[in-house]
Amino acid sequence: MATLPSLLDETVADGEPLARFLLSSSQFNSGAVKASAFIPNPKDQESSVFRHGSEPREGLWAIAATEVARERTIYGAGILTAAQVREVKLAVNSAEPPPRHAVITGWPWFPSDPDDQKARQKELALLLASQATLVMR
Amino acid sequence: MFEPVSSSLGILWFGYATASAYARRDSAVSSEANALREAVAGVVVNAQRSEVLFGKTAAALSELYSIAAQCSQPDWDGAGALPVDLASLSFAADFIKLIPSSLPLPEVTCDPDGAISLDWMESKIRVFSVSVSPSGRLSFAWLDGSDRGHGVARFAGGQIPPRVLEGIRSIVGHGDATLAA
Repeated sequence: MATLPSLLDETVADGEPLARFLLSSSQFNSGAVKASAFIPNPKDQESSVFRHGSEPREGLWAIAATEVARERTIYGAGILTAAQVREVKLAVNSAEPPPRHAVITGWPWFPSDPDDQKARQKELALLLASQATLVMR
Repeated sequence: MFEPVSSSLGILWFGYATASAYARRDSAVSSEANALREAVAGVVVNAQRSEVLFGKTAAALSELYSIAAQCSQPDWDGAGALPVDLASLSFAADFIKLIPSSLPLPEVTCDPDGAISLDWMESKIRVFSVSVSPSGRLSFAWLDGSDRGHGVARFAGGQIPPRVLEGIRSIVGHGDATLAA
């Protein structure tokens, strides 16, 4: 099995936790991550995540500060497992660099009808959000 | 000396209700009457527009603009998101103003594609979410326990599509409509 520069396996195991960092206070409320936090980037149709769980927190926020936030505020993260992503028929692939980076792929893609595409993506994002655990910084 | 707010609102409401009734009347007998009726109708429309700027709707609009400001720069999410689209913001404001007072107002979120998302979240598994695109089309999806679905509707600006309203009602417990994708 191939090993990445981060020393993680190239294949993301089902049990691995994935962190989606939250840089807007609109991406969560008092108890939950919102679906919009998982909607894929419109350019590459992928959702960027990092292969790290809620613990150790220092490690989680260090990745956020170094690889995502830079000068901006990190409010928290939505954590879910690779298995939970795959249960809704999406895929998780490692995508280094940066270290521990992975992407959620396989989102509905219908360039001829972007509004229908968005609605289908929202439905899957709602499912991911319902499974995610909100971790506040 | 200022009048009490309640008194002012009462007079305003009486005038508005009278004008509203007149504007709806369709038995005018002359061109002058028609012209007057059109003028009164204009007053009613303006009164309706003013009315929504009070109370919880004003708070929701304030939140909308505050959230939009957070998402006004490219890459606001650290993952390459587009800045919020002004046309989407404008349609979202129109949408919020048209939400019936019997329904709760939504939580506002930015989407990575620059659209504004309006969410009604009763719990993690009971959610209705609608994204307002720059074209004015609505992409919506819902999760209601094990039931889920999605759809697209056109928002012309004058009224919220009935299908979307029923979807919101079914999630927030003000109706028992079954959504059909």
